[in-house]
Amino acid sequence: MSRARAQSAPCAQFRYLLACDLEQVPTARRAVRRFLTEQGLHEEEISACELALVEACNNAIQNVREEGSSRPVEITVLCTSSKVEMSVNDHTPGFDWPDEITLPELESERGRGLFFIQSFMDVANYLRGKDQNSLIMHKMRCHQEHRHTAGAASLHELQQRLEDTQQVVSDMARELCFRTESLCAIFRCSTQLARSNDLGEFARQLLADLLHITAADWYVLRIVPENGRDLVRFAMSSDVEVPEIMPLSHAGRNIPIEVQAALRRREMLFGPRQPLSPSDPLAGVGASVMGVTQPLIANDEVLGTLTAGKKNWTTPFSPPQAKVIQTFADFLAIQIVSARLCEEHVRNRLLAHDLELARNIQRSLLPKSLPQLRDFGVAGFCESAREVGGDFFDVLQLSDNSLLLVVADVMGKGVPAALFAAILHSLIRALPEWTQKPSELLARINWHMYQDLSAVDMFATAQVALVNSKKNQMTVASAGHCPVLVVQNASTHVTSISPEGMPLGILPTTRFVDEVFELRPPCRVLLYTDGLTDAPERASTTDRAAWSAANPVLPSQERLQDWLLGSLSRERSAAQLRDELASELARGRGEGQLRDDQTFLIVSENDSLDAENG
Amino acid sequence: MKLIDKGDVLTVTEVKELGANNSDAFRDEVKAVLPNGFRTIEIDLSQTSFIDSCGLGALIAIYKYATGQNGSVAVRLLNPLPPVQQIFELTRLHRMFEIVRRDPA
Repeated sequence: MSRARAQSAPCAQFRYLLACDLEQVPTARRAVRRFLTEQGLHEEEISACELALVEACNNAIQNVREEGSSRPVEITVLCTSSKVEMSVNDHTPGFDWPDEITLPELESERGRGLFFIQSFMDVANYLRGKDQNSLIMHKMRCHQEHRHTAGAASLHELQQRLEDTQQVVSDMARELCFRTESLCAIFRCSTQLARSNDLGEFARQLLADLLHITAADWYVLRIVPENGRDLVRFAMSSDVEVPEIMPLSHAGRNIPIEVQAALRRREMLFGPRQPLSPSDPLAGVGASVMGVTQPLIANDEVLGTLTAGKKNWTTPFSPPQAKVIQTFADFLAIQIVSARLCEEHVRNRLLAHDLELARNIQRSLLPKSLPQLRDFGVAGFCESAREVGGDFFDVLQLSDNSLLLVVADVMGKGVPAALFAAILHSLIRALPEWTQKPSELLARINWHMYQDLSAVDMFATAQVALVNSKKNQMTVASAGHCPVLVVQNASTHVTSISPEGMPLGILPTTRFVDEVFELRPPCRVLLYTDGLTDAPERASTTDRAAWSAANPVLPSQERLQDWLLGSLSRERSAAQLRDELASELARGRGEGQLRDDQTFLIVSENDSLDAENG
Repeated sequence: MKLIDKGDVLTVTEVKELGANNSDAFRDEVKAVLPNGFRTIEIDLSQTSFIDSCGLGALIAIYKYATGQNGSVAVRLLNPLPPVQQIFELTRLHRMFEIVRRDPA
């Protein structure tokens, strides 16, 4: 596992890859000691360096979690004539370097490692990064012993040193190249993405660059769709054949390596030492295939996998190349999240647009102006709880002396409710022959709408009132709707007219009843939907009385009746009454959002100057 | 490492290194033989070229075990080399352990 190279002064470098195993620490320590001895360090300096190094390595190994344990601890020692610089790169979750490091109690068995590092080193910096942290330690050299001088060195030695130095510079340049190329590729492809917003094309270009940078032959990018159940092929090299969909619910043995990476949320290597199972789809890429699968993770969610590999395992990925693959996987994960957010934003905007359209259609169903009778004025109000609701009202003039008033409530809210409201509205106008008889009108409407409503388990309630000013009478029929409220002629109570009838869409044929009522001015008639009097949906029936008592502002059924009774003593037109009741409702609602549609029609005796807009 | 039974005294010798890789085994081995009626443990550090914080932890554990419950077993450290001696002084553990310099018997 070790890879060591030593050079002579003036700047010698030594690297060692330490397997994540405490048993290996003494070997690493002895290797570093040998290197420092060769550099002519004093014994005291060597002892100090080896102790600090061992403490750093112990920490790196003892605190590692499973996902980092397969990766080595990287030790680098640089030695110049004036100082020794040691860096230990670990793959632990990292920790906060304390501001002040003090000795523990004498009897404590732990907690002296950082104290040693601080005591024996002149500088110690702990840098935390993603999946990797670096502890960098400096020891200034006090006892300088220049064993090698240029004058004393032979030509051969000088040549050897020059070659070594060139090798170091070339290694560093190569690593710098990887980093630069990765950055360039990321910037280039991001600019492209911003222009086209095509994630597929973006991924293909980025991964073509990845192959170039890492000298890989092939790649496969898979994405977990929003159902979260599969790994779906998103992009791949043209000469690779792999199945399009792989379920994430694999169980038992021979789980494909890509599925393993997604389920275990860590990189999976394959090659001569970890061969793929013969049934793995990637085994078909080549007989001696090697590579790495990285999970794409963002916000703790697995979004897919990126596999890059070589068809021939004679040249494995170098650590910088493996790092580049990981960087690209991380970057792709961020782009996928960003693309999904963008899609959702567009979807929401489309939905909002649809609702706005439906609202406009529904608004257009409400009459622009209401017909009036000579002795009676009519005013209407309709407020939807969401962008579109299932409430509506309509007023049809049947003759000089008669008006047909309709208030209906389709169960539910939103687009479906509004669509049925539109159908109901059209049917009333399409059946003029039945308008003289409210019960028959409802029966016909039910017959026409039953199939459509019951198919989607919906229903509607409706109330139809025929007002005849010549006969001073009103005929009311109801399809499961709340009662019509009437007060008249200095009466001291409100009459509640509630003829029998099932809601529309429950049974294919239903009988409705006409109830005839005499209207003696002055009088008030109120047709409304239950949104005016209902307690919040969460309140159960038994809670409603308590709820009403605790919320005196919102009208309960009784309060609505009181308001109507009180209105009789005031001389008000229908429009004025409508405005009064509407502001009562607004007051009851307060700042809160409307829970249910609120719709009403109010009739008041008056002179016909009260021509009114709905 | 070697354990020598000298009647009242248990001598631990040939400890080359005391680090995270072997300190647990060292501690457990010494603790295992301790109940055999010894009155003193002498740990010979004259060959110990390296000790780290885990090695110190093992020595402290042995000390606590030996002096803790019955308080009857004395712990002595023999002839530590200068770098190890320096570590004891730096951590002030030379105040806890009895450190003895004498020629090997």
